[in-house]
Amino acid sequence: MTAAIAAGRPDWDALATRARKRRRATTALLYCVLVLGSLPVVVPYLWLLTVAVSGRMGASTVVLWRTLAVVMPALVLWSILRLAVEDARRLRLFEFSLGAVTLLVLGAVIGPYLHADNFRFLWNANIADTLKGAGGVGNRYPSVWVAFGNSLMLAGTQMVLVVVTSTFAGYYLSRFDFRGRGGYLKGLLILHAFPAMSLIVPIFLIMYWVGLMDTLTGVVLVIVALELPFAIFVMKGFFDAVPWDIEMSAMTDGASRRQAFFLVVLPQVKVGMIAVAVFAFLRGWEEYVFVRTLIFANSNWTMSLYLFWMQDDIMGTDYAMVSAMGLFYVLPSIVLYTLCQKYLTQMSVGGIKG
Amino acid sequence: MAKIELRRVAKSWGEVAAVEPTDLTIGDGEFVAILGPSGCGKSTTLFMLAGIYTPTGGDILFDGQRVNDVEARDRNVGIVFQSYALYPNMSVRDNILFPLRFKDVDKAAAAARADAAARLVQVHELMDRRPGQLSGGQQQRVALARALVKEPQLLLLDEPLSNLDASLRLTMRSEIRSLQRKLGVTTLLVTHDQIEATTMADRVICMSRGRIEQVGTAEDLYHRPNSVFVAGFIGSPPINLLACSVDAGTLRVGEAKLRATGGAGECVLGVRPESVALGTGPFRGRVGDLEPHGRETIYHLETALGPLRALEAGASARFRLGDEVSFAISATLLFDARTTRRIEGAGADMPA
Ligand SMILES: Nc1ncnc2c1ncn2[C@@H]1O[C@H](COP(=O)(O)OP(=O)(O)OP(=O)(O)O)[C@@H](O)[C@H]1O
Ligand SMILES: [Mg+2]
Repeated sequence: MTAAIAAGRPDWDALATRARKRRRATTALLYCVLVLGSLPVVVPYLWLLTVAVSGRMGASTVVLWRTLAVVMPALVLWSILRLAVEDARRLRLFEFSLGAVTLLVLGAVIGPYLHADNFRFLWNANIADTLKGAGGVGNRYPSVWVAFGNSLMLAGTQMVLVVVTSTFAGYYLSRFDFRGRGGYLKGLLILHAFPAMSLIVPIFLIMYWVGLMDTLTGVVLVIVALELPFAIFVMKGFFDAVPWDIEMSAMTDGASRRQAFFLVVLPQVKVGMIAVAVFAFLRGWEEYVFVRTLIFANSNWTMSLYLFWMQDDIMGTDYAMVSAMGLFYVLPSIVLYTLCQKYLTQMSVGGIKG
Repeated sequence: MAKIELRRVAKSWGEVAAVEPTDLTIGDGEFVAILGPSGCGKSTTLFMLAGIYTPTGGDILFDGQRVNDVEARDRNVGIVFQSYALYPNMSVRDNILFPLRFKDVDKAAAAARADAAARLVQVHELMDRRPGQLSGGQQQRVALARALVKEPQLLLLDEPLSNLDASLRLTMRSEIRSLQRKLGVTTLLVTHDQIEATTMADRVICMSRGRIEQVGTAEDLYHRPNSVFVAGFIGSPPINLLACSVDAGTLRVGEAKLRATGGAGECVLGVRPESVALGTGPFRGRVGDLEPHGRETIYHLETALGPLRALEAGASARFRLGDEVSFAISATLLFDARTTRRIEGAGADMPA
C-alpha cells in the first residue's frame, strides 16, 4: 500500500478488501458478545419453559441441557452463515433449512419428554387435591382463574385510572401556568424517586383506617398513587412536543378548547398514552409487595400471590406445575410487549423546564 | 369582509411590553403588511386580532364593533401560522373541512366548499394525503385553503413564506396577492422580509420594538422614511447613515463640510447607496472593497465623509480595489439625532 501511495495512486482494491475484512471482524465480535451476554438472561426463561412443558414432579434440568445442546450450535452456525453468505436469497434459504433441521433435532431429542400435565391447573378447579402430600389443604386454593381475573381487574382498573389522570394532568401542566407549577414538577420527580417500600407501614395503617384493607380497590388506589408522578411527567413531555399553534389554529377554526384537545391534541399523544398504559398495566400485573401486605382472603388473590402460596404453602411442592403457572403468568406481559413494542420505544421523558 | 380598527391596543407580558398602545385602521378588502425585525411584536398584534391573545389595553373593532371579549372561535378569522399548524392526524381533506365542522353547513355543501378552496390553491389532487407527506409549499397552500374555506372576514398570514425556497416564495407571493384581489378579503400579512411586504401589500406598517414607526406605501417608506429606523430597515443594500452636526447652514460629517438645507445641532445624514454616483462629482474616495453581484456592484468607499456604500448598476465593475474615484451624492435625508425623526425638506449634497 505504501508502494501504491508512493506511486501516487492508492490501490483501491486492496483498501476495499481491507475495509470489508475489518467490517466482517467487527460483526463477528458483535455476534459473540451478544450471544454470550444474552445467555444468562435467556437461560432462566428457557429453563422455565422446558420445565413447564416437560417436568414431572420436581425441577429436572435434562431437557434444558438437551435444548441448549441443540440450540447453541445452531446459533453459532447461524452467526457464521450471516457472516459468510452475502447473497440475500441464498442466505434466506440456508437460514430456513437451518431452522428446520434445528426444530427436527430438537423434536427428536426432547420430544419424548414433552407433556401438558403441568398445565392441569388451568382446567382443574380444585388444584390442591391433585398434589401429592397436600392432603387436607382441600379447597383452601381457589381456581387459578379467580386469581387471573383479580390480576386482570387490578392491572386494568389501575391502568385506566393512571392513563386518564396522567393525560389530563400532563396536559394541564404542559399548557397552563399556575402558582407553584415549577415546585409541583420537581415534587413529581422527587415522589418518583421515593422508594415505595418505605411507605408500607403508613399505607397499611391508612388502608386499615379507611376500611379498604383486604380489597382490590385499596391496592389499585395505592399503586395508582405511586405510579402517577412518573406517568404525569411522561405525558407532560408528550404534550410539550405538540406545537402550541396547532391548538390555537383549531380554536380560531371554531373549536372550543375541549374540542381542540380531543380532536387535535389528543391524537398526537396517542403513542404516549399507549406507552403509559402498557407500563401501568405491567406494573399492576406484576404487583407483589402491596398485594402481599394488604390482601388476605384467597378470593382476592392475584396471580403473584397465587404463585407465592402455591410454592410456599404446600408440602412437597410440584415445581414443574409452579413453572407452568409462572409461564402462564408471564404470557400476558410478553404478548402485550410484543404488540406494543413499536410504541414503547418512542417513549421519552420531557425536560422539567418549559 | 370587514374594516378593522385598533384603538390604543397594547399587550404586555408582566413587565415586558410586547406591543405599545397602537392605533391602526385597515380598510375593507385592503391588503396590509406588518414589517419589522424579529421580536418587534408582529405576531402578538396578529394574535390579538385573531383573539388568541387578549389585549392588555385598548379596543379592537371589527366593522365598528368592539370584539375584545369575543372568543377566537367566534371571530371568523382565517389564520395561516408560520409553521402552518396543519393537523397531522388528519388528511388534507379533513384539514380543510375542519373549520366547517363547527359551522352550520351540511355535509355535501361542506365538501363542495372544501373542494373549491383546494382548487383555488391547487391542492385538490392531494386531498387524501397526510400533511407529513406534503412538501413545504404544498403544506402552505393547504393551510391557506383551510384559512379561506370558512370565508373569513379577516385573513391573517404570519410569515407564511419564510419556510419556502426562494423560487417558490416568488410564485407564492404573486399567487397570494392575486387570490386576495379575487376574493377581496381584508388581509394582514406579517413578515420580516421587506420585499415581500412591499411587493404584496397595498400599505406597509413598519414596526419596531412594539411600536408602529410608519404606515405607508412602499414608495413612502423608501423615499420619505419617518425615522432613522425605517430608513435603515427598508432598502437593500442598506442606506448609509452618518452622524453629523449642522451649524448655520454648514454640515460637518467626518472630516468634510457640506452645505446644508435645514436642520440644526446633532443630526444623522442618510444617503442611499444608489444615490452615490461614481465617476464625476465634487467628492473623492478610495475603493476599499467591492462586491460584484453580476447585475450590479456594491463599492465600499473610504471618503472624507466616512465609509460609504455605493451601488452601481452594470454587469462589470468599472473600478478596482484601491482606485481613487470622484463621486456625487443626491437625494440625501437628514434626521434629528435626538428624536431620530426625519427633518422634512432637509439635506446636504454639495461641499461647503
Ligand atoms: N407568550 C409570551 N410570553 C412572554 N413574552 C412573549 C410571549 N410572546 C411573545 N413575547 C415577547 O413579546 C415580544 C414580541 O413577540 P412577537 O412574537 O410578537 O415577535 P415577532 O415580531 O412576531 O417576532 P418574529 O419575527 O421572531 O416572529 C418578544 O420580545 C417576545 O419575547
Ligand atoms: Mg412571529
